[in-house]
Amino acid sequence: MKRLLVISIMLVTLLPLVAGGKTEQNTTTATVNNLAWLEGPGVGGLPEVNPLKVSGSIITAGSSTVFPLSERMAERFKQEGYSGAITIDSIGSGAGFERFTVAGETDIANASRPIKEKERANAQAIGRKPLEFRVGTDALSVVVSKQNTFAKNATKQELAKLFSTANTWSDVNPAWPNEAIQRFIPGTDSGTFDYFAEEIFTAKAEPMLSANNLQLSEDDNILVQGIKGSPYAIGFFGYAYYAENAGELNILDIEGIQATSANVDNGTYPLARPLFLYSDASIMRSKPQVAAFIDFYLSYVNEEITHVGYFPANEQELQKGRALWLEAMDGIL
Amino acid sequence: MEYFEMKAPHPFGRKRRVHERVIETTLFIFALLSILITVGIAVILVRESFLFFSDPAVRLLDFFTGKVWQPMIGLFGFLPLLNATMTTSIIAIILGGPLGLFVAIYLAEYASERTRGILKPTLEVLAGIPTIVYGYFALTFMTPLLRTLFGETNVEIYNTASAGLVIGILILPMIATMAEDALVSVPKELRLASYALGATKIETTCKVIIPAALSGLSATFLLALSRAIGETMIVALAAGAGPKLTANPFKAAETMTGYIVRISGGDVSYNSVDYNSIFALGLVLFVITFTLNLVSRTVSGHFHQEYD
Repeated sequence: MKRLLVISIMLVTLLPLVAGGKTEQNTTTATVNNLAWLEGPGVGGLPEVNPLKVSGSIITAGSSTVFPLSERMAERFKQEGYSGAITIDSIGSGAGFERFTVAGETDIANASRPIKEKERANAQAIGRKPLEFRVGTDALSVVVSKQNTFAKNATKQELAKLFSTANTWSDVNPAWPNEAIQRFIPGTDSGTFDYFAEEIFTAKAEPMLSANNLQLSEDDNILVQGIKGSPYAIGFFGYAYYAENAGELNILDIEGIQATSANVDNGTYPLARPLFLYSDASIMRSKPQVAAFIDFYLSYVNEEITHVGYFPANEQELQKGRALWLEAMDGIL
Repeated sequence: MEYFEMKAPHPFGRKRRVHERVIETTLFIFALLSILITVGIAVILVRESFLFFSDPAVRLLDFFTGKVWQPMIGLFGFLPLLNATMTTSIIAIILGGPLGLFVAIYLAEYASERTRGILKPTLEVLAGIPTIVYGYFALTFMTPLLRTLFGETNVEIYNTASAGLVIGILILPMIATMAEDALVSVPKELRLASYALGATKIETTCKVIIPAALSGLSATFLLALSRAIGETMIVALAAGAGPKLTANPFKAAETMTGYIVRISGGDVSYNSVDYNSIFALGLVLFVITFTLNLVSRTVSGHFHQEYD
């Protein structure tokens, strides 16, 4: 009898495991009182943050493009005294939104594209209202290996062929060699993939996914490795990954326009795109460390962004985010 | 007949001490736990794969015969993944099998106690290296080596040959150890009889010991094959990140395990057909390795019957 009892108790405790249920719940405890880090007026109307007085953990996930920037901001946040734990998962914008809006596991979603209507609706369903903070601009880079001596520039039509139907380089441009194109592109859950599909293939994923010799990865370093390896390889990703590997990669001009900070600022570079953080007012209010980090991010991102390899967002956009922050924290400051 | 032997009656009769019962129950629970976990894994795999196969977009026939795997756009042919898995595993067995067998023969038949004492622990170190290290070894050593040998234009940076060869190195210690056990457990009488008939050591090894240990050796290779099929980290790093149906081992191709890693690393949303596809692949992998293990058990069981 006793043995039976023990076994049945064990079965009950195991059941959630076997049933595979998601047991993770959003356990945000109200610690609204912990706003000791606020210090007088700071940048653009935001209060100054004293990272020494910020405690508690921050969980972020999303775009691999935004990742190096968030990582740098988090490092600076820590250097200036933040003692909590901050996680930044580089899993792609879509997966980042998934965790933020469906599972509700994260405090901040990093994204290299704006949130979609469907994702907003998902967030609504779990009681979150995503707030958009613009943090910078990326020049999406189409790159080839340094050993590639023939390709210097590509038009949008050429890009469309390069990443879909063409088999060899000469199929795209007769001046290019008759060698098979090897493609290395970000995975389908990446904001970079979505953005490229949007710009080049009118938001359709099929042409890119049905291409030959295609390799997909959420890890941009895998793409860099692959492109480096052959003169006939081509790929694309955020400018930061090009900047980091500029010794071994060549970036193509798009429609004859170079990816320079001037061309990104004045909007002539055809593949310039915004970078965002998303969070939610109730998270920022119940986990003030999240509000502190976003405040810090929006205050100092322009001092760091060029070191990572991206371009500052225009001041108006940044200011919009700061206003949104103040609105979210209204009443408890 | 030993199964019907009765247990010796307990010295204290029926009045056993309480703590003995507690210990017995605890041990029993742990034994049960491992079974329950296995069953739990199987149940989840079957349930989630059912979600995949019951999706109207997925046709069972297409799954097993289709030549393109790109779930995002509704192409569910898993042949490219199976092909890549088979390519890496077979390359691994071709390298690891004979090498492991030679090591085992040396250890079992030729090595002195001293060399054995040095060789065995070294092999065990090889077995203890984390597979992620093997993965980078493939990417930063094996691939460049293959590219120098066969030409950069012929060998792609990610390729199944490099991953397969390194998996071969990974399974070598496992094959060596298990094959050695199989060789050692051949009854001494057979060896002595062979020597008595005037056979040399090499003749005895090749014509008596190996045939006698054949079922144990086959079981070893089957288990090693199943290990190679399930290997994940090496192929995820070195074999490639895009499904491709190709017979050329110097080209990039994604294996089943490689695909599962890529997708669970954040490639698609939960509750989508492409996400469920990884459970279907998991189930296929489970069935393949389970069958291999079962066959290997049967084969080695046969062996024990013969000589015990």
